[in-house]
Amino acid sequence: MPVQVDPENNEIRALFEMADFSGQQVLEIGCGDGRLTWRYAAKAAHVTAIDPYSAGISKARQNLPSDLRGRVEFHHQPFEDFAEASGPSVYDVVILSWSLC
Amino acid sequence: MVHALEQIRRLLRPGGILIDIHPVQEAPLTEVHQRGRVLFAEPSQAYDYDEDIHQAERALARCVRRRLFVRERGQEFDFLTYGSSVLELRDFLDEANSFHESSIDEADEAREAEFYNRVEGIMKAAGEGVEVAVHERARIARLTPVP
Repeated sequence: MPVQVDPENNEIRALFEMADFSGQQVLEIGCGDGRLTWRYAAKAAHVTAIDPYSAGISKARQNLPSDLRGRVEFHHQPFEDFAEASGPSVYDVVILSWSLC
Repeated sequence: MVHALEQIRRLLRPGGILIDIHPVQEAPLTEVHQRGRVLFAEPSQAYDYDEDIHQAERALARCVRRRLFVRERGQEFDFLTYGSSVLELRDFLDEANSFHESSIDEADEAREAEFYNRVEGIMKAAGEGVEVAVHERARIARLTPVP
């Protein structure tokens, strides 16, 4: 049996109680291997997911479900660099995904 | 961290929201489960995220005090990761946390090894249908930028 992460879906349930992703432009900071991204991305208009660690981003790109292609993009980049290169007022929802600490 | 939160505020559209998810400031539990029953639960050894979490909490609190964000609501939830063996789960967690610079010393490592030997022993004694889990408690909050 492979490792199972949050099979009870407590995290995504809590996330959906905090935000409605329908038609939203989303930025996820600290996406890792996309574990959480897949769970809400189908509802969003577009997701930009970033992480400074290449191993996670490589896995996320490999595992991107075909129905989410074009809707999710991954960047291997620290948030500080990403933010500096971004214009203001772009996103409806920003998720700090276990990444502030 | 406060600078990162200021940058997030700049990136958000008017009416946008920030969702923060982070673990609470206590060691996760290592648990042994069998068919829905918890046979064993003790704080995980060699836990060294305390200061990081404390800093994150302080940064968020500072941003709320400075009226950069208003905390609208939040809640806590249980977050469990299951493996069929201690080795499998530890490999997975080591990879997932490989970015974290650990401050664990030799004594901690020895305590950790003894702890996981004990967990393995409990799993073996319990027989079939047994799983090992790391049980974290996490906090999620919805914040909105103050115009």
